[in-house]
Amino acid sequence: MVTAFASRTARSVSVRDVSLEDAFARREADAYEGAYRSFGPRMYSTALRLLRDAEAARECVHDVFLHLWRRQNAYAAQRGSLEAFLVTCARNAALTQLRTFSRGRAAIGKFPAEVAYEMEEDPIERERVARALRQLTSDQSDVVQRAYYRGMTLSEVAADLTIPIGTVKGRLSTALRALRASLIPGNADAG
Amino acid sequence: MQMQANEHIGEAAELYAAGQLDAAEIAAIEAHASACEACLRRLGEAEETVLALERVNKPLAPPAATNVLPFARRQISPWWLLPAMAAALLVGMLWPRAQPQHNVAMLAMVNGHFSHAQFAGTGPKAKVLYARDRSWYYVIVAGTGRYDVYGVAGDNRASLGSTNAAGSTSELFVKNKERFDHLELRDGSGAMETATIR
Repeated sequence: MVTAFASRTARSVSVRDVSLEDAFARREADAYEGAYRSFGPRMYSTALRLLRDAEAARECVHDVFLHLWRRQNAYAAQRGSLEAFLVTCARNAALTQLRTFSRGRAAIGKFPAEVAYEMEEDPIERERVARALRQLTSDQSDVVQRAYYRGMTLSEVAADLTIPIGTVKGRLSTALRALRASLIPGNADAG
Repeated sequence: MQMQANEHIGEAAELYAAGQLDAAEIAAIEAHASACEACLRRLGEAEETVLALERVNKPLAPPAATNVLPFARRQISPWWLLPAMAAALLVGMLWPRAQPQHNVAMLAMVNGHFSHAQFAGTGPKAKVLYARDRSWYYVIVAGTGRYDVYGVAGDNRASLGSTNAAGSTSELFVKNKERFDHLELRDGSGAMETATIR
């Protein structure tokens, strides 16, 4: 109904529908279906990029909604945009599937970083993200490619790069904050 | 990562959003964020980063438009949840492997709202799952025998078809908008069972 928060940048952040977010937080069924219609496609494409399996990605999106439906206080509008919350949930659910099933485990090792770009449609978004990634140090980029794009666990990244797991955590965290500063100007690191 | 309940989230927000924490760590962070608005916003910011990275992907419509919540519509009273889950569990037990009709039926269940009824009579154990709007009926019979299924409404009896063996059970999935009072299950020996559709 009401369109509220305008995007922080010209492109990267969505306009937020406060009434939908509030209704979703109250766990109203209509809001769940509205959120599915609005954000399901991006959740699905996010899961699909990791899982490479249409049915598994579809189930992943449904699992997210069912899981949230069964939880009290899973989302609050103060947290941030519902779209960001749901896309992150979908990505994490897909990662869990990858890590749980052996076929997924096998797929992780084969998953080339370049695949992250094969599904891109918007060349402007692609260039923005590519530019932001290029601004990372090579150490940070190594960790982001493995932990974020390939879905490797922190310990897998640590073993692959032969660095301590604490270093992996620090580099990943710092890199993602740097990416946020690049991709969402005006919303730089909150510390 | 050991996190105390009174400890702010800090860099763990990015690890959380990137899916790099275990269940205990996630629970600790969510417990803390539920009582700390600054950290809740911190999680939201980290999630915005994930969204910004994922925006490069083309949003794709999932294959098959589906209702996101099989059971949850406000006009459905809560009593419905348990029978629906029980029915889904029953189907899962009866069909350890996916069968073509099973797939169709499962999709129908995911897409809509269904109920179920037990067949009673002299035949084998059997059940019917059916859409609350009567758009489909799904008959499951223990064993591999072939049974004719009829829908009965008042004095009218309509043949819905016959069950087909699928693994250790026999099944029939039929799309039908009629509101039957009950379904009948018959085999060649004259055994008959009835399930009441409410």
